This record gives sequence, structure tokens and C-alpha cells, in this order.
Amino acid sequence: MQIQLIDQTFSHAILAAGGINAPHIPNMGSLSNSIVMAIIVTVVILLFTRMATRKMALVPDGKQNFVEFVIEFLYGQVEGIVGEKVAPRVFPLLATLFVFILSANWSGLIPGVGTIGFAEGVKNLSIDPHDHSFVPLFRPATADFNMTFALAAVFMMLWVGITIKELGVIGFFKHVFAPKGGLSGGLWWALLPIFMFVGVIEIISIMFRPVTLSFRLVGNVYAGETLLHSMSGIGEVMGLEGIWAFVSSVVVPLPFYFMEILVGLIQAIVFTLLCAVYVQLSTEHDEEGHEEGGH
Amino acid sequence: MGILETFGFTWGKFTAQVFIILIVYAILKKFAFGPVLAMLEERRRRIADGEANLEKIREQMETAEASVQGMLDKANADADRLITEAKESAESVREQKTQDAIAEAGQIIAKANEAAKLEHEQLMAELKHDFGRLVIDTTGKVTGKILDESDQERINQETAGQVAL
Repeated sequence: MQIQLIDQTFSHAILAAGGINAPHIPNMGSLSNSIVMAIIVTVVILLFTRMATRKMALVPDGKQNFVEFVIEFLYGQVEGIVGEKVAPRVFPLLATLFVFILSANWSGLIPGVGTIGFAEGVKNLSIDPHDHSFVPLFRPATADFNMTFALAAVFMMLWVGITIKELGVIGFFKHVFAPKGGLSGGLWWALLPIFMFVGVIEIISIMFRPVTLSFRLVGNVYAGETLLHSMSGIGEVMGLEGIWAFVSSVVVPLPFYFMEILVGLIQAIVFTLLCAVYVQLSTEHDEEGHEEGGH
Repeated sequence: MGILETFGFTWGKFTAQVFIILIVYAILKKFAFGPVLAMLEERRRRIADGEANLEKIREQMETAEASVQGMLDKANADADRLITEAKESAESVREQKTQDAIAEAGQIIAKANEAAKLEHEQLMAELKHDFGRLVIDTTGKVTGKILDESDQERINQETAGQVAL
């Protein structure tokens, strides 16, 4: 009985946000529900930033003050990791990633996201009937692998650009494959094969960065969506009906909503922090190189 | 690519999401990060300028205070000197006036003495004259003799001689 209940719950959970594949919205061509949500998040960010920064004043009002606080805080964090020299170049993208990921993560907590959509045989929009054919109108953008992979890809493009700009192409390969730590002479040649082997591992590691970044984010957010869906429908799965099913669909997911607020924030921080660390790792050696050159 | 497709990856959606991210990036860079960082920098610059001005004002205040103190010291010294000079001058004037007053008083006393002496002599002369006439009248009445001019003259001289003694 218990196994059957778990099985039912999980089969219901797989339906969350229309499955791991972001489905196309019916009669809307190739427009997926996560793209719709990404567009909405973009518009909200645009409107808020325009409202906050349209009339900038030396003595800021509420919205400008909030935006300044966020940006100043983020800039301090980024500068603390990547350093004063690189911070101005990477901050806009890293801050964009953080703001967008956080907004997209939290957008999944808005009532209706993932639960209002198109059910089979129903012409108009309807509430999720826990049917496998249900296609939600909205899906958190970061619960779609395409979005998280796009975020990682955009970051990697920036990373390659900054690294090449800082080290140069040859410098980059030297940074990856050549022995480090100021070695010279016979020791340098002796350790070269080991460092080249380590360099190959590092290249593989670099190639996996967008994969790990994107899978970590989509896994956490999609799992959160699934969890909320499962918790909201658990009353019905357990056989509750009418008002009790409604009450359980409101009360049971409530603690998990607070958890998802935290998860959304943490995942945005983790993604941005890792990106900053990757930049720092590739530019730190450059600064050392300059110092050594200076001596 | 197989595993990516398992997770719903398609080039079309991926490309669309990349565009969305780049649009958000452009929007935030233009409307948020650019203006806000510029504003923060402007505020930081103003604060730095304010601090620098404050320091400059403080230095000017110190210079002005030193200058004022110097002027006050000089004014005090001048005032002390003037007071001393005034005191000395006043002492000198007072001494002069005192001497003048003493001299004047001496002159007044001398004049008074002289006036008193003259008055005394005049009174004595009148007294002698009156006394002589009284003696002549008395002598005339006692003797019953009418005294002539020479007798009166002689009696007057004798009486004046007696009175002077």
C-alpha cells in the first residue's frame, strides 16, 4: 500500500511543470512555457529597473535605494573574489546572472505558475487536473535545461573572452599546461609531463563547467517545482476529497514554499559564486605572472 | 548530445534563451548597472571632495585661528603698552598738577598773608588815629585847655609811640 502511494506520488510528481522537457504551448508554434516565463521575468526586471533608475538622485528614494543596495552589495562580493582589476569587466554579466536566476527561481513560487495551463480536451485555460497531457502556461525559466545551459554557455563565452584577454592564447595554454610555482631548469622539464597531464584534466574540467553549472541549477529548481506539485496534490493521492483536499493542497506545501525561497536564493548565489571563482582562477595566475615579470 | 536531448535540449529553445539572457544583460547594463555604478561613483567622489574640502577648511580655520591669536597677542601687547604709557603720563600730569596746585596755594597764602598784613596795618593806623583823637579829646576835656595844632601833633605822636609799644 505504502509503495503504491509513493509510486502514485512520484508518477504525479513527474507531471510537475509538464515534465523535464519544457513543452510547447498549444497553438503557439515553438514557444515553450519556460520561454514565456523568461520573457515575463525579463519584462518585470526591465520595468523595475527603469522605474528605479529613471530619475536618479544623489539622495535616493525607495526603489533607487533598493537597487543601489543590491548592486553595491553584489559589486563588493564580485570585487572581493575576482579583484579590483577584473571586477568592472565581469560584474555586469555576473550580476545579470544572479538577478535573472533569482527572479526566475522565485517566479516558480507565484501561484498559477506550473498549475494553470492547457489540459487535453479543454479549450480554455484550466487548473492542473493532474493529467499527463497537461501543459502549464508558465514554467520557471530555470526549470528548463535550455535556459540553464544557455546561462552557462553565455558565462563560458565571457570566461573565454576574459581569459584570452588577460593571458592571451599562448598564455592560456601555458597557464594550463606549463609547470607553475616559479620552477626552472631541470626541475621544470622533469615536471612538465605531470603538469601536461594535469592540464588535460583541467581542460576536461573546464569543458564540464557549463554542464555542471546548468545541471545543478535545473536539477534543484525542477526538483523544487516537483516537490511543491507533489505536496499540493498529496491530499488527493491520499484519498482526501472536497474541502479537505483543498486545505491539504494549501497547508502541506506551505513549509516547502519557504524552503524553495531559500533554495532559489542559494542556487542563484552558488551559480554566480562559481562563475566568479572560475574567473578568479583564470586571472589570478595572470596577476602573479605580471608580478613575476615585474621582479 | 543524446543526454542533453533527454533533458529537453533543443537548439531552437537554447538559442532563444541565449537571446533572452543577452537582452536582460543589455537591459541591466544600460538601465541598472551603468547608471547606478556611475551614481555610486559620483557619490563616492562627492564624499571624497567633501572630506577634502573639510580638511582644507579645517586647515584654513587653524591658519585663521593662528592669525587671530597673533593679532590678539599684538593687540594685547599694544594695549598693555598704551596702558603703561597712559599710567606714566597720568602720573606725570598728576605730579605736575600737584606742584602747580602747591605753588598756586603758596601764592594764595602769600597774597592772603600780605592782604592780612596790610589790613592789619591799616587797622592799626586807624586805631592809632582814633586813639590819638580820643586822647586829644580826653586831654582837652581834662585840662580844659584848647589844644592847638602843635599840641595835637605832639600828643598824637606820643600816643602813637605809646600804642606802638
